[in-house]
Amino acid sequence: MTRIGGALLSLVAFLAVWKLATVVGGYPDYILPPPEAVVERGGRAIGSGLLWEHTAVTLLEIVLGFAVGATAAVITGTALGKSILVERVLSPYIVAAQAVPILALAPLLDIWFGGGLLARVVICALIVFFPIAIATMVGIRSTDPLLAEMLRSLGASGSQRTRLLEIPSALPVLFGGLRVGVTLAVIGAVVAEWAGAGTGLGVLINIANQGLFDTPLMFVALTTLAVIGLVFYGLVVAVERRLVSR
Amino acid sequence: MASTTSSGLDLSIDDVALRFATPSGPLTALEHCSLEIPAGSFTVIIGPNGCGKSTLLRLLAGLLAADHGRVTVGGAAARPGDPRVGLAFQQPRLVPWRLTIDNVALPLELAGVPVATRRERAAEALERVGLAAAADLRPRELSGGMAQRAALARALITDPSVLLLDEPFSALDALTRETFDAELQRLWLERRRTVVLVTHSVPEAVALGDRVAVMTPRPGRVARVVPVDLPRPRPAEMLGDPRAAEIAAEIREVLAAAHAIELRPWAEQAGAA
Repeated sequence: MTRIGGALLSLVAFLAVWKLATVVGGYPDYILPPPEAVVERGGRAIGSGLLWEHTAVTLLEIVLGFAVGATAAVITGTALGKSILVERVLSPYIVAAQAVPILALAPLLDIWFGGGLLARVVICALIVFFPIAIATMVGIRSTDPLLAEMLRSLGASGSQRTRLLEIPSALPVLFGGLRVGVTLAVIGAVVAEWAGAGTGLGVLINIANQGLFDTPLMFVALTTLAVIGLVFYGLVVAVERRLVSR
Repeated sequence: MASTTSSGLDLSIDDVALRFATPSGPLTALEHCSLEIPAGSFTVIIGPNGCGKSTLLRLLAGLLAADHGRVTVGGAAARPGDPRVGLAFQQPRLVPWRLTIDNVALPLELAGVPVATRRERAAEALERVGLAAAADLRPRELSGGMAQRAALARALITDPSVLLLDEPFSALDALTRETFDAELQRLWLERRRTVVLVTHSVPEAVALGDRVAVMTPRPGRVARVVPVDLPRPRPAEMLGDPRAAEIAAEIREVLAAAHAIELRPWAEQAGAA
């Protein structure tokens, strides 16, 4: 209850500061629209079906991109964590790939993967991959060697050790990576859309910003992205609370 | 579960050598190390830090393999996961995300015992070490002494014929430790398992052991086995008896002699300077 109260209070304060800035600064709507103008524009965008049309596409990209990226990252991270050899061979490529700005690569990936949903899912998955793979590797390595020896003394098999010790040990760190990864999935979807797409919230931002000079509509799209990020982050935290007990 | 009162298995360490690879080259932990441990005896292994006494216990638990010689439990080569052997470490090593009762039940879980049965047995084991009330607590909610009791319950849950203890009470305060020593003695008098206790405390060795194996500094071997012919049960006051003092003195003498051999080159150098 107090948590919701605190969140509401901070939202009210944020809106008040925003409103105050527009009043004091006296900016035109295309520079910084006041909150009520954004709310009004949002109402119209929802009513006309425009917002949902773009949001649905972006949501699909985020969900698929995160699922693909996180799955690949957990598998790779486990291999990296369990084998020094795998880490030595693979990690230079993984780190180098991460250091290349995906924004620069996105147009190329768009061409490689046919410019459709597949291309956008791949770009989103690539952005999500790194923090989750690293978190998985660190998590697997965080297994307490004293507990590992204890299990060995009891004759535990390899699969028993993985199930009873390594996975539970890795979970807290892994979820740290998933929290970062899920917010990056939102960014990844937008970057992918900018590389070439017809619909999506990233496209809507471009249309509003550069085509229509409709800054309130751009704020509507940004707010929607922020809400999507918050909801997915909340989902990850909720799953974490269920699985990680300490 | 039928618990026989005679039980216990012979343990044997026969001319064992063990070397570790370290960054600064190979290190010989044990060399020509032999010790016979009769079934049902309470044997204490004592020695200075780093003499390989914990290593010796790990050999008996099958966690390490000897480079030379033979280590047997009941005539068969020592191996990890032997249900006839219970092991408690210096640290409790409880799994932090499991309830105490599920930590205690872990050996049975690994062996595939159904959940209802193993929880029942774990509850019994907790009761035996006076920890019945802590069954549903998490390890972080236990005091150091309680956690070590839980670890002991985990070692006892398979009703093993051999109990290997690696300084399990060394991190506890002196008073708690005395209580533990008394309880350990009671548990052993109830059911004569073969107990091997590693310690570096001479009073603890005299209070608990039938025989005290004194080790040399590294590379470790057994310098002498000192018999402790004190009656049981041995209350804490008994350690003040003249006979107990004699035995303690003998153990200290062997420890010092073993040390002197090791230290002689240094002493000579010091004398020459």
